[in-house]
Amino acid sequence: MDKTVKLSLYFYGLFLFSSSVFAIEIITHNDSGLSLNFKNEENIRAIFSMRQRYWSNSEKIKVFVLADNHVVHKAFAKEKLAIFPHQLRRSWNRMTYTGTGQSPKTVNSVIEMIQKVKQTPYSIGYVDTLVSDDDIKVMGAR
Amino acid sequence: MLKLIIGLMLLASSHVYAAELSWQDKLSWQNIQKNWQDDVQFHGFLSQGLISSSGNNVYGHSKNSVSALTEVGLNASYQYSSQISFAIQGLYRRAGSTTGKNGIGVLDYAFMDYRFFNDNQWQVGIRGGRIKNPWGLYNETRDVSFTRPTMFMPLPYYERSRGLVLAMNGGQVYVNQFTNWGDLYFKFNLGVTESDQELLIAVTSNPAISGKLNTSGVNFLTQLRYEILEGQYVFAVSYAQMDFEYKGLSPIYNNLQVPIRPLMLSMQYNGERFSLAAEYNLQWNHFYGALVPEIKNVSEGWYIQGGYKILDNLEATIRYDQTARDKDDPLGKKISALSGGLMPAYYLFTHDTTISLRWDVTPEWMLRAEYHRVHGASNISMIDNPDIGDIAEHWNIYALQVAFRF
Repeated sequence: MDKTVKLSLYFYGLFLFSSSVFAIEIITHNDSGLSLNFKNEENIRAIFSMRQRYWSNSEKIKVFVLADNHVVHKAFAKEKLAIFPHQLRRSWNRMTYTGTGQSPKTVNSVIEMIQKVKQTPYSIGYVDTLVSDDDIKVMGAR
Repeated sequence: MLKLIIGLMLLASSHVYAAELSWQDKLSWQNIQKNWQDDVQFHGFLSQGLISSSGNNVYGHSKNSVSALTEVGLNASYQYSSQISFAIQGLYRRAGSTTGKNGIGVLDYAFMDYRFFNDNQWQVGIRGGRIKNPWGLYNETRDVSFTRPTMFMPLPYYERSRGLVLAMNGGQVYVNQFTNWGDLYFKFNLGVTESDQELLIAVTSNPAISGKLNTSGVNFLTQLRYEILEGQYVFAVSYAQMDFEYKGLSPIYNNLQVPIRPLMLSMQYNGERFSLAAEYNLQWNHFYGALVPEIKNVSEGWYIQGGYKILDNLEATIRYDQTARDKDDPLGKKISALSGGLMPAYYLFTHDTTISLRWDVTPEWMLRAEYHRVHGASNISMIDNPDIGDIAEHWNIYALQVAFRF
């Protein structure tokens, strides 16, 4: 495990018992040329419901999510997408079991989320903790 | 000469890829493996149900005994490019006498998807092969227990003659539009509809009939769906045109034409805790052309269903569901009188009240318990209930199910 992830883990541990202190943040792999021009929650929703499958530079979007019953996933769906987790599951099920689309990859923890987004070009995910890493871009951060 | 051509081809291809990766890189095992992992997905589902009933049999010998329903599906999808994808799913079912002791495995869907146009607002494309039918709210994933509201499908889903709406061998045109005021999904399936023994028995009211119904002419099934807030509100209209013709050795049924025209109106609300669904189904029937008496009527069915999440992973569902073979004779009295009482009135309608409790133990595992109080027997399987004289009007179904998905 490298330094930056350790740093993230440190922050995560620090705020584990007061996670409500932090808002949910959407993170992406810090690819050069990656379009992060999200106009509103509609666009983010299109990505996480797996409707929009490619970035504007034609690279496939790699979507990572936490399990349906994960507290951070529930908060993410409500705060960032303004929908309920069961609506996301309904969309994914429809695509997965009719062959008309694919589902996002599920990770087991926020720590794994950070690692996956760091390691995977053109990926997107979300966290409830501070992330400071050259390979990760936090949306909305300046 | 051959060497020269190969050399030129290699040169040409390396030139083409120079902008991104060299062709050696592109063909390297790591890259193939990487693309495979990114672009190919495997999913599946499995469920095992136990059913006990009084009065009539469901999915095998359940009457004063226990029968079983097994559903197993496995699929693969391959997103080849932003425009082209492939998908295939196999389905195994063991559901009483219609599928036999060992169950039946079928190809559930298998198609190629070509998307002409794709942006933030529009998705337009065609699919060719075997494609699921967009009938009502639940049909496209009807065998995935996780996506059904209850263990047993509502009556307008033709569980007895599932082939009618299951899937179409042919093609589909789809147009999706995403707007600020909601999302529109239009699908038009064209091709060959399956029929089965249950449908033939239902059409002829003759449990002893041999032969089968074949698709005649062009069949289609189409749906327009409107969703607000990613499915928080759903409205849909589905309509199908299905034409069948009798093929078999019973001369009195020779040339029997069976055009069926079903229509379904659907609405659904999916709130945080509370959900509501209602569907209304009309079906125009006209059976003619043979020596047996002509039948022309309209079947009618509807249900209303409420769900409440007591906890995030514990949901109770209650539904009232009813269907009548002839909407002008909802309790079957006229037809029964015409037959001189030979056909009991309760063969011609079904009223079903359902209570179901679902526990999503984890996102992958689910348990369900369900009870049905049923009046009438118009929708029971004639193959599971071969003794016509022994069919009950008032009966109960008790069911338990465990389901897994990945």
